[in-house]
Amino acid sequence: MNKKLQRIHSALSTPKTDDGRIYFHPILMMHASFQFGETYTNLMTNYKVLVEANMKCLELYDNDAVSVISDPYRETSAFGATVIFNGNNSPACEKLITCMDDVIRLKNPNIYQCERTLDRINGVHYFRQLLGNKFPIIGWIEGPLAEAADISGVSETLINIIIEPDLIKRLTQKCLTTGKDFALAQIVAGANIIGVGDAICSQISTEMYNEFCLPLHQELFDFIHQNGGLVKLHICGNITHLLPSLSKAGVDILDCDWMVDMGEAHRIMGPEVMMCGNLDPVSVILEGNREIIRNKFEEAKNSLPIENWILMGGCEIPMYTPINNIKYLREISLKK
Amino acid sequence: MNTSNLYDAILTGNLAMAIEITKQEITHNTDPQFIINEYMMKAMEEIGSRFEAGKAFVPELLMAARAMKGSLNLIKPLLNGKPNATTMGTIIIGTVKGDLHDIGKNLVASMLEGCGFTVINLGVDISSEKFVNAVKGNKASIVCMSALLTTTMPYMQTVIDALQEAGLRQNVKIMIGGAPVNKKFADKIGADGYSDNANAAVTLARTLIV
Repeated sequence: MNKKLQRIHSALSTPKTDDGRIYFHPILMMHASFQFGETYTNLMTNYKVLVEANMKCLELYDNDAVSVISDPYRETSAFGATVIFNGNNSPACEKLITCMDDVIRLKNPNIYQCERTLDRINGVHYFRQLLGNKFPIIGWIEGPLAEAADISGVSETLINIIIEPDLIKRLTQKCLTTGKDFALAQIVAGANIIGVGDAICSQISTEMYNEFCLPLHQELFDFIHQNGGLVKLHICGNITHLLPSLSKAGVDILDCDWMVDMGEAHRIMGPEVMMCGNLDPVSVILEGNREIIRNKFEEAKNSLPIENWILMGGCEIPMYTPINNIKYLREISLKK
Repeated sequence: MNTSNLYDAILTGNLAMAIEITKQEITHNTDPQFIINEYMMKAMEEIGSRFEAGKAFVPELLMAARAMKGSLNLIKPLLNGKPNATTMGTIIIGTVKGDLHDIGKNLVASMLEGCGFTVINLGVDISSEKFVNAVKGNKASIVCMSALLTTTMPYMQTVIDALQEAGLRQNVKIMIGGAPVNKKFADKIGADGYSDNANAAVTLARTLIV
């Protein structure tokens, strides 16, 4: 095993790692709230609910990491946007940016003084109190382009990449600054891995990614490394066309959604990167029977070296996923 | 001015040029339906094909749709009441109640409009009552529903049941889409079709319109 991979494994290890089990890191948000008997809104707005719901899932599923991932609007709220919560539905968020003047006026917040960002920081701290030092805690931030889209609208951001590129570049720079602040705060609170969600990247070309995102990702990931954290990059959707560029970004763990060929992704990303994924959360984990789940698990397992693999659904585990399906995934990923 | 430049203007997402060329053609009394059929629809079909092949991405699709709409907005008033004005059919499209995701739905709406359908875009978080009223009020041929969450996609069944109860189900075809949606789900709820991208949605709509 190469030295970088050894370092990553060291951060991923738990008290149970030595028994040869495959790391299992399901993304749990709505499902965690449901299992805990709380609404998704309560999970998003109260760090104690978030942490305790995930701790209940840890008891149920014996997974190998916990995360404070919840929703995309923590930083957006800190920038001043109003977030509207609605029971178990996804939240809605006010747009703050409609023109360059809005970008110029936008001020980077103090993330310790904003309710929603402080709530997540407290969540990391609470996890660390409960779990002690030898368990991976994944902090979470929005990537710069995703945050730009959260603040100004997805369609607007994608059009402005073409018609107002300077606006996007100035805005993403400001988002990067807040992203760094938020990442550092979570590392200080006890997170040893920082998850970076930049879903919108799968919707743009390689050329656009190279121009608008890659330099920012490189800067952000270097910053996280300099402050002692590992980087887990999560881009929902098909990122196959971005893989050659992503291999230059400095990622430690790359999440792959179900439509990506994990073997090909591993070959492009190289032996120093952990690949995380990539069973279809809906058709396999939610709706599948044991045979389907087993077949897809074996397919993923056989596509890359075990030492480079973290088992996960391609994206969030759906709210009503049967407990037994997730338990089965854990069962078959324990080395006999 | 050569209207084939309109094809290029839409394909490359050049709104200003699309508007300028369309204005020139209106001044020269070019048949508006000809402009739609020969240039707008073909440009949208081409960008849709490129998107499906991974040679164009969402920004290019959005820009083409924007240019197409700029042109279409100038032509629409000329079509109203014309005996030879043709539409492939009226489609109601919306994201179901509880769900706020709209970019995929909006792309599908733009592609359908660019390819000759009349599209009524209801927006997001749409109740079954709104779908039913829209079908009644517009004599729609197709209803398109979008959902991006496993928690909201069951509402598609609610909409289908509401259309059935209103006596409208036999008059419309139902198409569904969205990340967690698949053919198995479409068959289970009694939808007439499912598509996983905007270009495929146009192809499906064309086959469903009889």
